[in-house]
Amino acid sequence: MSAYLVSMATYAGFFIILALALNLQWGLTGMVNFGIAGFYALGAYTSGLLSAKAGWPLGMSIPMAIAAGFAAGGLVALLSMRLREDFLAIVTLGVGEVIRLVVLNEDQITEGPRGLRIEAQPFQSLIAPENYPVFYLGFVAFFVAITYWICERIRKAPMGRTLRAIREDDVVAGVLGKNVFRHRIQIFAIGGGFMGLAGALYAHYSQNISPEVFMPTVAMFIWMSVIVGGAGNNRGLLIGAGTVIMFLEGTRFFGDVLPWLDAETMSSVRIITIGLLLIVTLRLRPRGLLPEPKFTYTKDKIAG
Amino acid sequence: MNLQIFVNALVNAALIAPPAMAFSLLFGVLKFPNFAIGGYITLGAFAAYTFNVPLGLPLPLATLGAMLFTGFVVWLAHVWVFKPMQDQSAVTLLVVSIALTLILESVVRLFFSADVRGFDIPLERPWKFWGARITREQVEIIACAVVLATGLHVLLRHTRIGRAMRAVADNPMLAAIRGVDAAKITALTTVLCGAIFGLTGVFAGLDLVIEPLVGWNLTIPIFAAAILGGIGSPYGAILGALLLGLAEELTILVLPSTYKIAVGFVIIAIFLLLRPQGLFGTAEIKK
Amino acid sequence: MTEAILSVAGLRSGYGRTVICDDISLQVSAGQITCIIGPNGAGKSTLLKTIAGVVSAIDGSIRVAGVEMAGLPAARVAGSGMAYVPQEANVFRALTTHENLAMGGWQDEGRTQAARDRVYDMFPDLQPLARVPAGNLSGGQRQMVAFGMALMLEPQVLLLDEPSAGLSPLMVGEMFETVRRVNAEGVAILMVEQNALQGLKTAHEGIVMAAGRIAMQGAASELLNSADVSELYLGSRI
Ligand SMILES: Nc1ncnc2c1ncn2[C@@H]1O[C@H](COP(=O)(O)OP(=O)(O)OP(=O)(O)O)[C@@H](O)[C@H]1O
Ligand SMILES: [Mg+2]
Repeated sequence: MSAYLVSMATYAGFFIILALALNLQWGLTGMVNFGIAGFYALGAYTSGLLSAKAGWPLGMSIPMAIAAGFAAGGLVALLSMRLREDFLAIVTLGVGEVIRLVVLNEDQITEGPRGLRIEAQPFQSLIAPENYPVFYLGFVAFFVAITYWICERIRKAPMGRTLRAIREDDVVAGVLGKNVFRHRIQIFAIGGGFMGLAGALYAHYSQNISPEVFMPTVAMFIWMSVIVGGAGNNRGLLIGAGTVIMFLEGTRFFGDVLPWLDAETMSSVRIITIGLLLIVTLRLRPRGLLPEPKFTYTKDKIAG
Repeated sequence: MNLQIFVNALVNAALIAPPAMAFSLLFGVLKFPNFAIGGYITLGAFAAYTFNVPLGLPLPLATLGAMLFTGFVVWLAHVWVFKPMQDQSAVTLLVVSIALTLILESVVRLFFSADVRGFDIPLERPWKFWGARITREQVEIIACAVVLATGLHVLLRHTRIGRAMRAVADNPMLAAIRGVDAAKITALTTVLCGAIFGLTGVFAGLDLVIEPLVGWNLTIPIFAAAILGGIGSPYGAILGALLLGLAEELTILVLPSTYKIAVGFVIIAIFLLLRPQGLFGTAEIKK
Repeated sequence: MTEAILSVAGLRSGYGRTVICDDISLQVSAGQITCIIGPNGAGKSTLLKTIAGVVSAIDGSIRVAGVEMAGLPAARVAGSGMAYVPQEANVFRALTTHENLAMGGWQDEGRTQAARDRVYDMFPDLQPLARVPAGNLSGGQRQMVAFGMALMLEPQVLLLDEPSAGLSPLMVGEMFETVRRVNAEGVAILMVEQNALQGLKTAHEGIVMAAGRIAMQGAASELLNSADVSELYLGSRI
């Protein structure tokens, strides 16, 4: 049971990094990203392939995963800066799906649906195998903390505050000019980098990655966390992610208690529950459980 | 050039065009891209299957039942989910609509499992002409799509109700000022679109297979066709569907067929970035 | 004074919990033009919206030809002999001129054909534009479509919110000429105008609104000559 909890918490860690990254991108730039699964896959396969096929050490392959996510994020932001947000959502969803399709089809490199086996794990030789899961949980928690800290720093920095102030008002954004656009692209790229990191951490944890993990449903769960928690608020987001994970993973317990329910039924019930959770939350609390404090457009804040 | 490619593209277009028109219509009213259409289509396919196979109704009757049922569900979704949330941002609504598709898909899975199914229709040899093959069902799909598109055109352009639907989509406040019961017209639009999605589910079941993901797999091509033709321009959607079908078939010649869905995305991306109003539309897609 | 076709008494309204208009009482006599002027944000548009049922009244009464309208939604007010032309977005841009006019006659489809001919007689410029989507028309043409749409049900009183807004100086003159022509057919008009001088010159009665209340009320010619009004609203324009 405790092994189960440790694994659940570790998965929660990947999840929270993704959600923090999304909240950074959406909360600050107002640019939506539905291709989360793609960035996640990009990080997982970059580090996985570099270490499993090219024999790179993890100290280099994981940073490469971050760099890949960063570059992809910058590129997407640059291309679609001016799209209306719901259509940007479709474009980014497409980017995510195309990444997954490439992984699926280019199986000479990625092993496709067979799955890519990855032996290397961080600090493998130093930790006793029976303690490794707990160690890895700590390892992931460390990166969650760093991500959280960096996201909060960016949010509170003068530029972050300016970006939040102009998020809803593109006219102001236009007046403030190029500088703002550059920062928005940078922030989208940083978010992409974090998603790449989450992917790499996942890859070396599960040691076996395959395309079906990176379905668009991943993006959905992350989005639900952010919306349920209250968009733009990192603490709200922890609550949202916690709630969604509780529903997502907690319903697995029913499988133990009610053995006549097969896995297929369980997964359906789980998805229905989470979907209803989102709808009911939005009906009862339209701004999420812990909304972002109302941001007022006062002059000093815009000036930063 | 191979004639079969054109036949396939035509069938594809017949499958995609009606829901793309309905999507455009729905976008006009709700003002966000409604991803719930995937769930609606799946629901339509399984409703028709239930009427046709376990209950033994003939397919045309089952189709009618499925259209009514899906129309009803889409109306319910409007009343319970989307209308109370109309002040939310487009992105939140988008997420909710995807969640709705996931819910509907899972409900279908609960009742039917993920097995692949088909309608109870006699198997016939496809007709052959000039080296191309086409099945009887495909011909029927094309015929139905043509009738439906014409009917929709007449409804929107030449009837009182259709004009009111366009007016409410354009400016609901002014419509109310002129005495139109905008809520009623909106509800009517959702039911109409729902019926079309239900019909698409039946077509998909005939031409492809009946499985829970059937709607999701059609969602992106439908979007692509609607965007290609110009969102808010139901006629553009027809041409968009034809071009998309052709592009997909040509892609299969050079790339593995699993990349087919990527074609839709690439077209969406190119059009949204370079010509966001589509071929005919006027909708504001840029900020 | 002739009988009042529109009579408003003790009207209060606003958005959510904020009260914008308060204690408004006014009368529009049959066949007369009444012009409301006042600074930006005074609540002029809100008043017209409330009378038209777009914003719901919190308190007070609105009678059109003696029938109580307060509390009815816009769609129910529409066929009551009163027609409202909003300040913005007052045509269906995606619909043609012809179709816009048809929407104006929504509540009495049987009369549409005759009513449309009447509108085309009144605005001959619209005839050749019948098949053009209203979104492609010029500002002046759009304003005419908006007028025509409102006249389809032959209202006894017309509510106009800043009919001259956004028109070129030349068009503004024509606009007021049109208002007079419509009025000459016996339609009473309650209009809001930024262009106070021209508005008051066109009108029989005038109302000055400030901060959601009626500050002054009287014959238009009196207001035109009043020292306060000319200082506040006409000064720069004379
Ligand atoms: N939909 C709304 N919700 C909340 N407040 C509103 C709304 N519309 C207008 N207001 C507020 O009501 C007040 C009066 O606005 P209104 O449009 O009636 O003024 P107005 O006299 O017509 O001004 P203008 O001459 O600029 O048209 C303003 O303070 C405005 O901010
Ligand atoms: Mg106004």
